[in-house]
Amino acid sequence: MKKERCHIKFLPEDKSVEVKSGTTILEAAHIAGVYINSACGGDHICGKCRVKIKKGHVNSPPTNLLSLSDIKSGYVLACQAQVTSDAVAEIPAEASPGQAKIVVDGKQPLYSRIEGMQSTEQLEKKLVFETSPLVRKIFLKLPQPDRQNNISDLERIYREIRKVDDIKIMQTGLKVIREIASLVRNSNWEITVTLGRRNGTTEVIQVEPGDTSSGNFGVAVDVGTTTVVASLVNLNTGEVLGAKGTYNKQISYGEDVISRIIYASEKTGLERLELAVVENINSLIESLASADNLKLSDITAVQCAGNTTMTHLLMGIMPDFIRRDPYVPAATCIPAIRAAEVGIRINPRGILSCVPGVASYVGGDVVAGVLASGMAESDELSLFIDMGTNGELVLGNREWFTCCACSAGPAFEGSGIKSGMRARNGAIEKIDIRKNLEPEFTVIGNVRPHGICGAGLLDLMGEMLARGIIDRAGQISRTSKNPRIRKGEAGFEYVLVWKKDSDGESDIAVTQSDIDNLIKAKAAIYAGAAIMLKRMNFSFDRVMHYYIGGAFGAHLDIEKAIRFGLLPDLKRDSFLYLGNSSLTGARQCLLSQEAREKVHRFARMMTSFELSIEPGYMEEYVAAFFLPHTDLTKFPTVKAESGAGVTG
Amino acid sequence: MEILKEKSSLRINEVLIGAGKDKGGTRTSAVTIGGENCLPFHLFEGEMPNPPKTAMEIWDMKPSDWPAALVKPFDDVMDSPAKWAKKCVEQYGAEIIALRLQSAHPDFGDAGADKCAAAVRSVLDSVGVPLVIFGCGNDEKDNMIMPKCSETAKGENCLMGNATQANYKTLTASCLADGHSIIGETPIDVNIQKQVNILVTEMGFDAKKIVMDPTTGGLGYGLEYTYSVMERIRSAALGGDSTLSMPFICRAGQESWRAKESKAGVSERPEWGDEAQRGPAWEIATGVPLLVAGADLLVVRHPESLAGLKGMIKHLMDKQE
Repeated sequence: MKKERCHIKFLPEDKSVEVKSGTTILEAAHIAGVYINSACGGDHICGKCRVKIKKGHVNSPPTNLLSLSDIKSGYVLACQAQVTSDAVAEIPAEASPGQAKIVVDGKQPLYSRIEGMQSTEQLEKKLVFETSPLVRKIFLKLPQPDRQNNISDLERIYREIRKVDDIKIMQTGLKVIREIASLVRNSNWEITVTLGRRNGTTEVIQVEPGDTSSGNFGVAVDVGTTTVVASLVNLNTGEVLGAKGTYNKQISYGEDVISRIIYASEKTGLERLELAVVENINSLIESLASADNLKLSDITAVQCAGNTTMTHLLMGIMPDFIRRDPYVPAATCIPAIRAAEVGIRINPRGILSCVPGVASYVGGDVVAGVLASGMAESDELSLFIDMGTNGELVLGNREWFTCCACSAGPAFEGSGIKSGMRARNGAIEKIDIRKNLEPEFTVIGNVRPHGICGAGLLDLMGEMLARGIIDRAGQISRTSKNPRIRKGEAGFEYVLVWKKDSDGESDIAVTQSDIDNLIKAKAAIYAGAAIMLKRMNFSFDRVMHYYIGGAFGAHLDIEKAIRFGLLPDLKRDSFLYLGNSSLTGARQCLLSQEAREKVHRFARMMTSFELSIEPGYMEEYVAAFFLPHTDLTKFPTVKAESGAGVTG
Repeated sequence: MEILKEKSSLRINEVLIGAGKDKGGTRTSAVTIGGENCLPFHLFEGEMPNPPKTAMEIWDMKPSDWPAALVKPFDDVMDSPAKWAKKCVEQYGAEIIALRLQSAHPDFGDAGADKCAAAVRSVLDSVGVPLVIFGCGNDEKDNMIMPKCSETAKGENCLMGNATQANYKTLTASCLADGHSIIGETPIDVNIQKQVNILVTEMGFDAKKIVMDPTTGGLGYGLEYTYSVMERIRSAALGGDSTLSMPFICRAGQESWRAKESKAGVSERPEWGDEAQRGPAWEIATGVPLLVAGADLLVVRHPESLAGLKGMIKHLMDKQE
C-alpha cells in the first residue's frame, strides 16, 4: 500500500524523519540532518551514496553502479531510491564521514621522515607580526565632563581611545550611540570599548560598562572544500587555545567546487550551501568556546580563509560565473561585515573578515598560505603549493608573485580511487611492499583497514614501482604469477589487503585506473609548476624554497613524493611543510593589522594565469606522465636508485 | 657568403636487420639503417652513411579490403606468404620483406601461434632478404603469437613489432631471448616515444636495437602532424638526447592505401583519374615527406611505389655540390 507520508529512520545514527512518498533517500537524509557521502551531488554518477534498506520498501531504478551482490543484499543508491513506505536505511561506513583525522593546525606535529626539515614552529618565529588584532578591547576611565570640558560623550570616548592608540578615523554605529549617554553615566565613566577594524577605518562596535577587556577572543577558520577547520585565539595575548576540524557539510551537495556551483544555481541551492557551512562554523565555535568555558559573546571576531567559491558560498554570493568562461568571480575582496549578517553566532556586534583572493581559482586560502609561508619576506625565489582538491601554485619572492591553479583533481584525497578514502580511522597511510609482493602497512587508529588515504596511495606508487608491480608508465605487470596481481572487473589490479583482513566486504585493491588517476594528478601539479617557471624564465633549480600546504601536505612523505614525480628533485632541505597554511595565515590576519595589510597587498600583487590556455602545457603534462618523469635527467637522485627493482 | 652549418652532438643509432650464416642466421643479405649525424638529406652538414631503405609489406593471408589496383600486382601469390615474398624480392626488387601476421587478429581469422609461426618459417625459407615481422595489432593475440614467431626466427635478427606503451613486455622479452631488434610504436607523441624507449631498455634491451614507429598519418590524413613530431624527435636526438636517437620506421603503404583518394575506383570518381596510377602516386606522395622528415625505413605496398620511392631516395642522396 502506498503511503502519503513515510517515516524514514537512518542507522547507525538512529535519526528519523517524515517525508512525502516519492522523496529520495538522499533528500530525506538532508532533511534529517544525516550525512551521506554523495560525491556527484545526486547526479546518479558516482555510486558513493549506497545505503542498505533494512526495512520497508523503496523504488529503486536499475543501476550499473551497484554490483549484483550489493543489490541482492539490499543496497540502493540514496540519490535514486524513492521511499514508498516507512523504511529503515543503514548508511555503510564508507558513505559516512567517520572520525576525521584532520590536520587542524600548522602547529600540529607533522608527519615526515625527512631529516633536517624545518618545522612550522621555526617558520612562525620568523613571521611574528606586530599584534594588533582584528578586534580589540580597551578599558577606559573617562574624565567626567564639566563646563570647560564639555565635548560630547562620543568625542570623549574617541579622545581617550586616542590616548592609547592614535587612531585617526573612527566611526560608531547609531545603535551604540543611542546607548552611550546613559551607559557611561551608569557605569561611573568606567567602560570597555570594543574596536573593530573594518576596511580601513576603526569602528567602536560595542561599549560595555566596567572592565571586560579580558574577554576578547577570535576564531580563525579555514573554509576548505572538504574540511572546515577552526582555531580559537585569545586576541589579547595571541595564544591559541584550541583547534577543531570537521567535514564541510556541503559535501553532500557535491564533492568538488564545480558541482557545488551547479547546485548553488538551483532553487534554494545557494541558501542551503550557505547554511551548511555556517552551521559547520557555528558548531566548531560552540565546541571550542565550551571547551574553554567561554561565552559566545566573548568571541568578537572571525577571520576566514577559503577558496573563492567557498567564500562566495559563505557570504551567500551566487558563484555561478566562476565556472563559466571567462571565469569571473563576483568579488575576490569582500569587506569585513558583522558576523551575524551571515548567521555566525558570536558576539552580535562581532566582525567577520575573509582573506582576499586573486581570481576564480586562486582564493584567499592560497593568499593566506603565501602569508604563512613567509615567501614574501625573502629575496630568494620560492614556490608555494596548496595541495587541496585542486592544487594551486604561487611562484615569487618579495617583489612579485604569479599564481595558477592546476586541475589536479581530488585523487590524493582518496576521491576517484576505488579503495580511496580520506585520512581517517581505517585508512592505510604507510605501506612497504616486500620482495614477494606481500605488503606491510600501518592503519590510522590501529583498526582493521578500510581503504587507502592519499599518503598511503603515494607510498603505494613508490613501492609498486620499486617492486616492478608497475613500470615507469604506471602499467601493472600482466606477466606476474603472484596472486596479488590479478585481472579484476575493470582491468588489472594489485590486492593490498585480502577481504579476510579488511573491515569491509571486499578486498582492498588498487586498480589500473586508480594508478592512471594518480599519475594524472601528479602530472598536472608538476606540469603546472614547470610551466609557471618556464613562463617566468626560471627552472626548478632556481627555486630555493618549496612550501607545501594543505591537508594532504601534512601527511606527505617528501622522498616518496619526489620518486613519484609529484615534487621536483630538489635538495630535500628546500622543502618545507606548512600543514594547514590557510588556517595559519587566517590566524595571523586575525591577530595583526600588518598581516591583514599584507594579504591585501599580496592578492593585488599576484598575477594569475590560466594554465589550460598556456602553450606547451599539454606537452609538459604528457612528459610528466611517467615515473618520475619522461626526462629522467630532471630527477638525478631518483635515476641513481632506479633499475634494480624492475623485475618485469 | 658561408652557409651556417649545424653540428649535431649525437649520431642516430645504426640498426642492423638480418643475420647471415656467419652471425647465426640464414639471410643472404642484411640491411643497416640509421647512422646519420645530420637532419635528413642535409648532406652539407653531416653524413647519412646508410641511405633510407624500403621494405615491401606482405600479409600471411589474402587481404579482403585492399583495392583492386593494389591486389593486381600480387593477385597470383596472395594465398601464400612465401610466394608473395618471393615475388616481391625477385620481381619487384624488395630489399626487405615486412610480414604482417594479420590472420591472428580475432576479426580476421583468429589464427593461432603455430599457424603464424609456420608463415614466418615459410617466408624465411623462400627469400634471403631480412624480415620485419608485425603482429596483428591486437595486444592479447600478439602476446600469444609473437613469442612463437620470434622463436621460429631465432638468430635471423629480424625487426619485430610493435611494442607499445601499454604492451611491450612480452615482445621485448621475446626479442631479447631470440636476438631480434624491436619496433617501439607511439601515437605521434615525442614524450610517449621517449617513454616507450625507456620502458623497453629498462627490461635490459639494448637501446641500439630499437627502431621507432612514430605512427604515420597518410597524406591528407594527419601526415603533417607525423612530420612535425618526427622532426622534433630527430632534432632532440641530434641535439644529444640518447633516449630518442633511434632510427624511424614508417608504414607509408598502410596509411596511404586507407585513403579514399587512393582506393576509390575511376567509375566512382571519374574526375580523379585512373586509380591504377593514383594509388601508387598517393603512396609515393606519402612516402616522400616521411623521408624528408627522417624515415630510415619505409614500408610500402605497391611495386610502383617501391620503385618510385627508391628513385627518390637515390635522387635525394645525390651529393648536393
